Amino acid sequence: MANFILRRIIGVVPVICGVSIVIFLLVHLAPGDAATALLGPQASEAAKQELRHTLGLDQSLPVQYLAWLARTLRGDFGVSIATHLPVLTLVLPRFGNTLILTFGSLLIAIVSGYVIGLLSALRANSLFDRLIMSVTLLAGSAPPFWLGLILVLLFAIQLRWLPVSGMDDVTGNGGVMDVLRHLALPAVTTAMGPAAVITRIVRTSLIEALGRPHVRVARAKGLKRSELLRRHVILNALPPVITITGLQLGYLLGGALLTEVVFAWPGLGSLLYDSITARDLPVIQATTLAIALAFVLANIVVDLINAKLDPRLREA
Amino acid sequence: MVLRRLALSLALTTSVLAATAHTGAEAAGTLVWGMPAETDSLDPHATGGWSTYQVTYQIFEGLVKEDLTKADEPTPPIVPALAKSWEISDDGLTYTFHLREGVKFHDGTPFDAAAVKFNFDRFWNESSPDFYKKAKAFVIAYTKSIKSVDVVDPMTVKITLTAPNYQWLRQGLQSYGQPLMISPASVKKYGNDGVALHPIGTGPFKFVERDQGVKTVLERNDDYWGTKAKLDRVIFRPLQDPATRVNALEDGEVQMITTPPWDEIDRLKGEGFKLSTNKNAPYINYIHLNFKNPALQDVRVRKAINMAIDRAGITKEIMHDTGRPEYGMLSPGTDAYDPNFKVYGYDPEGAKKLLAEAGVKDLKLVFELPQYGTGELVETWIQRDLKKVGIDVELRKYEWVTYLGKWAAGMSPDVAMNEIGWGMSTPAWTGVVTRCDAFPPGGINSGYYCNKEVDKLLDQAIATRDPVAAKAIYQKVNHIVMDDAAYVPLDDDLEPVLLSPKVKGFVNPPEDWFDLSTVSVE
Repeated sequence: MANFILRRIIGVVPVICGVSIVIFLLVHLAPGDAATALLGPQASEAAKQELRHTLGLDQSLPVQYLAWLARTLRGDFGVSIATHLPVLTLVLPRFGNTLILTFGSLLIAIVSGYVIGLLSALRANSLFDRLIMSVTLLAGSAPPFWLGLILVLLFAIQLRWLPVSGMDDVTGNGGVMDVLRHLALPAVTTAMGPAAVITRIVRTSLIEALGRPHVRVARAKGLKRSELLRRHVILNALPPVITITGLQLGYLLGGALLTEVVFAWPGLGSLLYDSITARDLPVIQATTLAIALAFVLANIVVDLINAKLDPRLREA
Repeated sequence: MVLRRLALSLALTTSVLAATAHTGAEAAGTLVWGMPAETDSLDPHATGGWSTYQVTYQIFEGLVKEDLTKADEPTPPIVPALAKSWEISDDGLTYTFHLREGVKFHDGTPFDAAAVKFNFDRFWNESSPDFYKKAKAFVIAYTKSIKSVDVVDPMTVKITLTAPNYQWLRQGLQSYGQPLMISPASVKKYGNDGVALHPIGTGPFKFVERDQGVKTVLERNDDYWGTKAKLDRVIFRPLQDPATRVNALEDGEVQMITTPPWDEIDRLKGEGFKLSTNKNAPYINYIHLNFKNPALQDVRVRKAINMAIDRAGITKEIMHDTGRPEYGMLSPGTDAYDPNFKVYGYDPEGAKKLLAEAGVKDLKLVFELPQYGTGELVETWIQRDLKKVGIDVELRKYEWVTYLGKWAAGMSPDVAMNEIGWGMSTPAWTGVVTRCDAFPPGGINSGYYCNKEVDKLLDQAIATRDPVAAKAIYQKVNHIVMDDAAYVPLDDDLEPVLLSPKVKGFVNPPEDWFDLSTVSVE
């Protein structure tokens, strides 16, 4: 197992390097110039040239990339071009906020997906099941930003239960309850699509498991229903469900970045948006690096869980 | 059983969330402003852009300022700020500023001539150890006129210009690098980059904290030298998504939003929110016509384009009357603006006739534009209007930073038009975009218009001390530029601001930022 973990972690290094190179190239190949964006139209060409020199933007791409890599390996992410603030102080708190939103959504997606999927499977083809399948189809296909706006209109503007935007009440004293209230709508919005997918997979997987011969035998032996489900059905239905749940984690992270803009949730998504519009290279690099890292680590965790459940995978 | 417990705890969580609901609480005297963009650095010397000045205007002051407490002035009057008075020598070269006594920066250090000298050294004097290159790049429009800065005595400063420039004071109050006074002690303590997180000035509000992307918090400066602010606190919140800004206003999370979506304004007014506008915005939206494009060499073609566009239709149908048609290259926020100036009205038949006279058939033009959240409605309207007189327009859209770079670099000959919304509260701005020596790179005469007579008149205007005479010259310049049909002025925005009914005392002045010291929230 230790060997498996080590192999997976070593595998992360080329992925992260690849991501950082691609992002670096993409930002540099895009037209538009940080110096003009920053100094404004009235700045002289000499001033712009000087700024490009100060920022190292007048050097060749490989030189710029290697310089960035060397600094990053030392833990120096530089200073934001637009705000003059150290990049780490910008990215770290935002990263934490994105993780809060992602894990909040993951929890909602897993709990609701598993519970509803199970209920649906137990009443397969009933009216309830058919209704759930239609709702999940709808929830799975609707774009998250649209769902977000609908939820805001209903729960915040009409019913006035929950706040519209942000992570806490800017005039209040904060606290966990305040964050939870602000988390509710964006987390539900982000969770909706993945929850729908998980529900359908859980249902299919359980229906399949319920029809297996060993379950029929156990039932014939008079095993209690709860015991039957726990020991013979759910465990056997789990592997595909876990794999799909793991894949949803990536989707959740991506979805969270979009939802952040609609709900003004101060995570990496809105930071990325701001930094791209300002061609703020150090911030773009650090933000995408954080996203890539989160994505890769999430995948490792899923692999580990699957390997724990299915020993055959450890050798693969 | 497990399931039931789970379901129960979910239900409980939901009801607790609902029960703690909706404090929406604003503390007494706190204004929360939902802004369309995050501000950049709060160092006023080393930043540009009006959204940042909306914040820094509250914290910092210069020697003089524009009085933004009056809504109905055609242009904001220049009034004393940290200089209680000033004299301009007869030759127009020397400005002597008498500084206000007893003023303290927010860190408690005194404001005096040494502080003024330090600030000018920072953004202008390359030979000073306090010089900051980045600041000079931003404040350049103001500093390029300066020859020397001298301390006469602890409360008097003398600034000498290289040539008479009677728009100089106003040029220092525009949105690209403002010569505002920063506490020298704070710059020494936190370093040049540190000013962004420790902005310390003398203004009516003090900086409290900034959570990038979330909020910037200011509180009242109780030791302010002038009339103290009414609000206890101002909180600036970046809410990029227009729908989110509107929702936050309706929900009471913010009490003020700028750049509201046009389509929502009437509905929100109907719900009791207050709409504040100003008819003297210091900028206009306009199109540069490219003098390097072969099809636009003939003045009749340029005139036809000007006559083919139904500007009144744009401001009525698209902007829902929160905008006004513009027919000249002077922004309404300047004293030289004439609301009745109109060389080319909407006349599609006349445009067709001119095109026929010029022998133009099957004209195809490329129009470069930035992508905004408004879906380029105005540009599509223009495309349709020009099609009606027989001109095919290809719209080429670019993301903002890309566009800004292309615009500042000047149009290539295959491009016919590009657009921007810009202006200043000084009529000298017309020269910034029309002068022959403002060709890119370095200048932003993006369509390469050049008329030596315009340059001569602009030189004359800036050296004219009498404001009435200067105004007449700027109006003449405007006439020549439009006779040449060098640009297509389109419209201006009446700077709509939506306010909660709880907000009192808000003034929407002829400027892109506001004086929040007069505002209170019930």
